[in-house]
Amino acid sequence: MRIDSIEKLNRWRAECRRAFEAPKRKVTICRGESCLANGSEEVFDEFKRLVAEKSPSGLAVESVCKTGCHGFCSQGPLVIIEPDGTLYTKVKKSHVAQIIDDTLIGGKVLDRLLYVNPQPEEKIADYHKIPFLARQQRISLRNCGLIDPHQISDSIAVGGYAALSKVLTTMTPQQVIDEVAKSNMRGRGGAGFPTGRKWATCAGVESDVRYVICNGDESTPGAFSDCTTMGSDPHSVLEGMIICAYAVGSSQGYIYVREEYPLAVVTLQKAIDQAREHGLLGNNILGTALCFDINISRGGGAFVSGESSALMRSVAGEIAEPQARYVRSAVKGLHDKPTVLNNVETFATIPVIIERGADWFAAIGTQKSSGTKAFSLTGKVNNPGLVEVPMGTPLREIIFDIGGGIPGGRKFKAVQTGGPLGGCLPEDKLDMPVDFDSLTEAGSLMGSGSLVVMDDRTCMVDVARFYLGYLASESCGKCVTCREGLYQLHRLCTKVTKGEATEADLSLMERLAQTIQKASLCALGQSGPNPFLSTIKYFRDEYLAHVRDRKCPGGVCRSMITYVINDDCIGCLACLRGCPVGAITGEKKQKHVIDQVKCDRCGSCHAVCRYEAIDIV
Amino acid sequence: MSVLRREGIDVPVLCHHEAIEPCGSCRLCTVEITKDGWGGWKRHVTSCLYPAEEGLVVVTHSPELIEIRRNILDLYLARCPQSEVIQKMAEEYGLYKTSYETIPDGDNCIMCYACTRICEVLGKSAISAVMRGHKKVIAPPFGEQPPDCIGCLSCAHICPTDVIAWKDDDGCRTIWNKPFELISCSRCGKKTITREFADYLIGKRNLPRDYFTVCDDCKRQDLALKMGALVDRAKEVAI
Amino acid sequence: MMTHRFEVIPSLCIGCRTCELACAFTHTKNQKPGRSRIYPIAYAPDKYVPVACLQCDDPACVKSCLFDALKRNETTGAVELNADRCVKCMACVAACPFGCALVDDGHDEIVKCDLCGGNPACAQFCPTKALVYKRIA
Repeated sequence: MRIDSIEKLNRWRAECRRAFEAPKRKVTICRGESCLANGSEEVFDEFKRLVAEKSPSGLAVESVCKTGCHGFCSQGPLVIIEPDGTLYTKVKKSHVAQIIDDTLIGGKVLDRLLYVNPQPEEKIADYHKIPFLARQQRISLRNCGLIDPHQISDSIAVGGYAALSKVLTTMTPQQVIDEVAKSNMRGRGGAGFPTGRKWATCAGVESDVRYVICNGDESTPGAFSDCTTMGSDPHSVLEGMIICAYAVGSSQGYIYVREEYPLAVVTLQKAIDQAREHGLLGNNILGTALCFDINISRGGGAFVSGESSALMRSVAGEIAEPQARYVRSAVKGLHDKPTVLNNVETFATIPVIIERGADWFAAIGTQKSSGTKAFSLTGKVNNPGLVEVPMGTPLREIIFDIGGGIPGGRKFKAVQTGGPLGGCLPEDKLDMPVDFDSLTEAGSLMGSGSLVVMDDRTCMVDVARFYLGYLASESCGKCVTCREGLYQLHRLCTKVTKGEATEADLSLMERLAQTIQKASLCALGQSGPNPFLSTIKYFRDEYLAHVRDRKCPGGVCRSMITYVINDDCIGCLACLRGCPVGAITGEKKQKHVIDQVKCDRCGSCHAVCRYEAIDIV
Repeated sequence: MSVLRREGIDVPVLCHHEAIEPCGSCRLCTVEITKDGWGGWKRHVTSCLYPAEEGLVVVTHSPELIEIRRNILDLYLARCPQSEVIQKMAEEYGLYKTSYETIPDGDNCIMCYACTRICEVLGKSAISAVMRGHKKVIAPPFGEQPPDCIGCLSCAHICPTDVIAWKDDDGCRTIWNKPFELISCSRCGKKTITREFADYLIGKRNLPRDYFTVCDDCKRQDLALKMGALVDRAKEVAI
Repeated sequence: MMTHRFEVIPSLCIGCRTCELACAFTHTKNQKPGRSRIYPIAYAPDKYVPVACLQCDDPACVKSCLFDALKRNETTGAVELNADRCVKCMACVAACPFGCALVDDGHDEIVKCDLCGGNPACAQFCPTKALVYKRIA
């Protein structure tokens, strides 16, 4: 059914909304990647089967729905019973029958499937009252977990393409650019370049052809907000791109999705097909003169292909290597034509800026960083997942109030922001407001918004070594400073973790890091030494402990720690049996002993001991 | 960079050659730029790629830039300690030995991309850079004999560190493990270029095939004979 | 606009090789004389003609160069080889029908006559005026 006028769209929207809001009762099962991996597909099928069989009152089989990802990752598979908003966590296929009998038919809440909040420790039944979700302000993630991403009618029901209608009927392209500029929106891909200015530059270049590209590469390990937006609310991204195309004068767009997101590609393609079918993409969108189509371009499995010039080469079918052209891609980008390249989150936010106005958006967040940001919170935190909060929210609130703090009663040590190219921030930076400029000043990056939380059993030198190794292997290899420099920096860092380095090596590393930063071709090289530079800035004493005292304060670097059994040992033989090199001796009910010569410090004994009887010294 | 060269200011280069587009891989020509409207903000860019513009203030030599170039050469020395070209350049910066551990099984390739770029210019693109990061090497497709190579040796000659191996032996040239037949002069038997290269030039530039069957020495000889015949005939006519 | 023309009157050549010496020394680099771009060749016993680049109207060397290293200088009329662009592939050496692109092993480069940029040394020194650089405009 082709929607070739705004009136038709409004009528269709009314129909969709009626259908979406009609069912008195509804059961939604989350089918985000993480829940799927934990069996939510089975749960969904089981619900369909048993609801058909048992017919609980007021619940039709059609009202058993699937949604996209909520970003509440450690609690899946998630099932929500509407209209109460009861949330059941970690639901298995075997639980379904009881949920139907006790909750849907019996009207009782199943305690054991409820979410357990860590601080204060309590069970919470209502989805809307869970602090992790309640304390967020979801703009780019507004529909994630709310709708079925495979049904365009769901997106329409919740307001999809309303902003586009407004743009096409009441705004000129210049007015759209001005509105985006007024909102102070800065690119959410990491560089934070003013979006309005980028669109204005592209529109201002004389050209017959312009391109709009959405960067869905998100190769930062630990970032998954774009994955979720693409896979759970694809139409918000499409709508943002169409609005951009209208504003700058483009008729061809691409969404570049990393190779490792097959599910996002399926969902996006389906959304594109449905949009085309309904006349929301292609020729004469909504019956106006606007012609714009979108194709998906797959990545090849590299981190560097997220860099804008490398990405455009990849879309053009060449090897993804960054080019140092010193000309903005808004002026000369894909195929040397003016191109707007923006991140998934940026495009997903545009429709909201149009609908609710630039002033509303600019009032959120801080003066220089307006709006909200979706963070991927991972690592040693009780509630890992997606957290969207206004810019300027302190790290402490994100990690402790929303994230639920550090598990196992351990202490916070550091948080890495912005992915491998970002830096690690220590405890005294916890009250820092999270926005573009504060993070850069502190020696880190906003990046794609990943926050990796580390506890006190982390060695910061080992962390630096890990990220340097990653970056050295992801370097495209074109320029010598990144290719050879990061390789050597990683080698030296490994030496430090092995206790074989000297203080002179540390000075050498600092000198090398400076040169890599200044002389590299692209951001991978220029920011590559950040893991090292930020850790040596804030945790210098750890580096010195490694080289001067040959000690690892975090208790991680194998050659510098010893495992010792203390007096809490009850002689249960568990570690003895678990030791792969037979280094533990002892009798039942007698304190065991570790032979330090045989021990290779793998940590298996420590992991297996239930009495905290093994210390890392 | 052309402006710097025009003014006689030298910055060191390794990956630069007039016949190919600059690519900024060696980073040695890095300079520091600033401009009046930038509020004191400075930027490090490679002079081979950054377009010259009115009002640009360029610093080509400063303690910071010397340090950067020295560190770059230090990295190169770790990768190709045997390369005389790198050793000589490093010595100019006071570096006689690398500060790092040398790469095991290294060769002298500095990954400047000159060979792949020149092969692209001549229209063949027979070799390219494969793999990523430190594992990156210049290689023919799938490591096999490059089907597009014509044995012209442009890559071997343009290589700043003479890494690409080739051999002319008894009328046969071998490069990238691929054998080529060298054309023998029909007069004296001296070897000229490969048959494949000649065929390529003949086809691409519409040159007569018989230009390539004789070597340059014999062609000059022929020219002398032709001119001599004209001289003699002119003398006869005069008489 | 070409201002001069290089003329060869082969009947006047006595094979003295002064042109060869003049050319070699004019192109000295690093204290080593270059390979001479011109020299007399005997076409019969005691009969010589000077052989040098004819600066063809439709140069095969220019056509053969895939790197645009050969280009005509519009003032002198000579076809010049830009050493900065040359990669020594030998295409011009093989293609020139008169063999006038030469391999200079001593300096490891390809060379050809460039009329010394407008003042050919060989014409200056030729004792019999078999080589003349004549003004035509």
